[in-house]
Amino acid sequence: MANETEEKKTDKTEPPGPELVEISIDGRKYQAPKGENLLQFMLEQGLEISYFCYHPGLSVVAVCRQCLVGLAKMNKLVPACQTPIGPGMEVDNSSDKVLAARRQLLEFTLVNHPVDCPICDKAGECILQRHYMDWDHAPSKIDHSKVRKPKHVDLGPRIVLDDERCILCTRCVRFMAEVAKDPQLVVSKRGSKAVLTVAPGRKLDHPYSLNVVDICPVGALTDKDFRFKMRVWELSSTRSVCNGCATGCPCEVHHRRDRIYRLVPRRYGNHDINDNWMCDFGRYTYKAVAADRLSLPRVQGKETGWDEAIGFVADRLKVALEGDRARIGVVLGADATNEDNFAASRLAFDFLGAPRVYLGAEPEGDAGDDFLRDNDPNPNRAGAAACGADIGTAAELADDLAEGKLAALYVVGERLHLPAEALAKAQALDLFAVQATHDRSPLVQSAQVALPAAAWAEVDGTITNRENRTQRLRAAVAPVDFARPHWQILVQVARRAGLTLDFVSPRAIFEAMQQEIELFKDAEWGAELPPQLLRYAGSRG
Amino acid sequence: MMETPKDQESLDLTTMHMGPSHPAMHGTIHIKVQLAGERIENAEVNIGYLHRGFEKEAEAHCWQQIFPYTDRLNYVSPMLNNVGYAMAVEKLCGVTVPERAQYIRVIVGEIARIADHLTYMAAQTMEMGAFTPYFYVMKGRDWLWDLLEEVSGARLTHSYVRIGGVAWDLSEGFKEKTIEILPRIDQVVVELDKLMTRNRIFLDRMQDIAVISAEEAISYGWTGPCLRGSGVDYDVRKAHPYLVYDRMDFEIPIGTDGDNMDRYMVRMEEMRQSMRIIRQALDQIEPGPVMIEDRLVVIPQKAATYNTIEDMINHFKLVIDGIRPPRGEVYSYTEAGNGELGFYLVSDGTGRPVKCRVRPPCFMGMAALKQLIEGHMVADVIPTFDTINMIGGECDR
Repeated sequence: MANETEEKKTDKTEPPGPELVEISIDGRKYQAPKGENLLQFMLEQGLEISYFCYHPGLSVVAVCRQCLVGLAKMNKLVPACQTPIGPGMEVDNSSDKVLAARRQLLEFTLVNHPVDCPICDKAGECILQRHYMDWDHAPSKIDHSKVRKPKHVDLGPRIVLDDERCILCTRCVRFMAEVAKDPQLVVSKRGSKAVLTVAPGRKLDHPYSLNVVDICPVGALTDKDFRFKMRVWELSSTRSVCNGCATGCPCEVHHRRDRIYRLVPRRYGNHDINDNWMCDFGRYTYKAVAADRLSLPRVQGKETGWDEAIGFVADRLKVALEGDRARIGVVLGADATNEDNFAASRLAFDFLGAPRVYLGAEPEGDAGDDFLRDNDPNPNRAGAAACGADIGTAAELADDLAEGKLAALYVVGERLHLPAEALAKAQALDLFAVQATHDRSPLVQSAQVALPAAAWAEVDGTITNRENRTQRLRAAVAPVDFARPHWQILVQVARRAGLTLDFVSPRAIFEAMQQEIELFKDAEWGAELPPQLLRYAGSRG
Repeated sequence: MMETPKDQESLDLTTMHMGPSHPAMHGTIHIKVQLAGERIENAEVNIGYLHRGFEKEAEAHCWQQIFPYTDRLNYVSPMLNNVGYAMAVEKLCGVTVPERAQYIRVIVGEIARIADHLTYMAAQTMEMGAFTPYFYVMKGRDWLWDLLEEVSGARLTHSYVRIGGVAWDLSEGFKEKTIEILPRIDQVVVELDKLMTRNRIFLDRMQDIAVISAEEAISYGWTGPCLRGSGVDYDVRKAHPYLVYDRMDFEIPIGTDGDNMDRYMVRMEEMRQSMRIIRQALDQIEPGPVMIEDRLVVIPQKAATYNTIEDMINHFKLVIDGIRPPRGEVYSYTEAGNGELGFYLVSDGTGRPVKCRVRPPCFMGMAALKQLIEGHMVADVIPTFDTINMIGGECDR
């Protein structure tokens, strides 16, 4: 995968590292941290080694035995994942004995593995496939039939289990026990009859349950939502950030031909934010991107073209500009990028001369937990709030509307919640325009002008999470129908109204924004990483 | 670029465009000539009209998926391109194909060479106005294509060769059919020989036209029949024997003058030599496997693929990820219809080439065309261009 350096940690002081000792692996010398996991160290060095059960985010159990290495003065091979690095350690990672052990273990693993690749969702990013090809690639020696196990066990609302495919690595069991802290999965029975199952009377319905699908090295656990939808190697991956809540987990958007199929946590993402995990709610937010979209500009209830809609807004804006400028209200969006909000605040303060802007945000809920998901469902409240010194709330806006302080209202984003009376007041203004992605809220449906804006997965830009960390969104798919990015609509409206808001790209806005706003000073735009076809990305397994 | 006319005499020159789409030009090629009367004073040869991005396309495909594209390089002898590309990847992987596969490659390759030369002969005579020999000759090529179709299933785009051997064994009765067809091909060659080689009109337009010395031909990077027409006995099959060519008894015909006639005569004789090679190969070939047994290169049999997980994964990974040659680069070269067909491959250890560069033999021939036709009559452009035997698919890639 491409470089991973784009996101910087905000906290740059690192604790002092562990003591380094010299070890040798296949005769080559390394300076390795004493006491650290040997397998992890070897993986970090880019050495080739096979493993199933080890996962950097989980405890070590060494049940798969696939990472066996030789150690000098040790008669038996040892699992690298369970071996702490010690001074003078001499590791053998390539002798015939080691390679034979790995080959034989794969042979055992495959004895009862079903011939499912053509119908298996994991095929193409399967660790078993990858290791077989890298370490074994020998023909079958088995002449008896395979052990049959339950083929589609409905584990819970989101996950289906195929026990035949399961290689009993227990990664999922450990994830549920250690990370989700709700041990819903267990391995029951023994030997060739051992099966993965839920505890009696339980369902696998934890809000973080889909992580077990990611970490399953084979296709035993599959996501009902993604199941049989798309072969993974046909998907392209674009790095972005989940917009499900204020946490902003770095994620990959997997898409093909302008359709999103799934969100997965970035494997080597910013580990301080979400480690390797994502919540189930966040993963499914991709569905909202394409649902209920506002597809055409709408002026006074009638669908129209962009030219007409922008002309209408600009004309009304000109009228408002001739009157009392303090009577123009601009609302920033907690669902829009920093660039969009910055452009809107420039328009409000520098050109319209508005005294203050408002912030449209969903109210805090109680869906959050103590792990990743936040109570604040807005992906960019912190960033939007930084775009103006004086920012009014939705309640203040409703008051201002009730008191008749405003003559025009221009809303970026669709998260503004106004009571019905306030909406009625807004409808009576000279101008009430909303730039929105979806066509479902009363705000959008009551606006004089609704302008279709691109969704988060369709734009380049940055958002700032609850810890004030600014991260980069990248456009994965093209905007639906006639939608345009917020900043672009703002620039076009301003130009038509005779104002020189002359930003040419989100990058240009970002650079201007960095100069002016303290919060974004250390933010980085990051590399332009075009979507990468997973087929060419190497095995994700 | 063409020089600006300097004096009154050059101002009298007529500029004429031949091609890129012109009935007399076989293939899309543009020659801009400046004529003093009928004599060519200046010529500018423009190629590239058939560029399809083969080399770039190859970078987005698995190593084994590139074969169908090689069919479309020199599309009058696709088998030779198949063989050339397969040998390059095999050199990269360090594998040796079974002996029977090597014989099969020689046999189908030499059949393709005869078909290639027959096509050249047909075009050469037809474009000089002799339409009858064209049909006589093409009839022979069709018989050869029947053979190749029987082996590969396709008349033109065979994609028969595989990395590690050939797709499947020769069909039953192939040997007998070939033995039966070869004398008929010989007859076609004799017929053509009688019609053209001592034909006064033909000789007038071929002899002493477009002469190139051995030194010049080498300096242009010429190979193949054109270079041998100038008297250099360089043939990759003899100079650097590959496959089983070292076991074959055959001669390398060379010319003396390096004119159009010599390039024609070399090819005429090469067809006979190819027939000798085919007969010997058919005699020597022994039963045996036609593919190597390397599970990192060859996809498993379908029966095993559908019934064992090991072969299923093996098949899956080879198809989806491609075979993975070691990191490195190779240049591999074979004698194709027009000369040395080279493949320069760079691998980064993944399923796709980082670079797949083709050295097309007729590309070098085209470099010299300007020099060859300058000073001759405009009517000499066509026979000269024919003897270079530029194939757009190969030259422009």
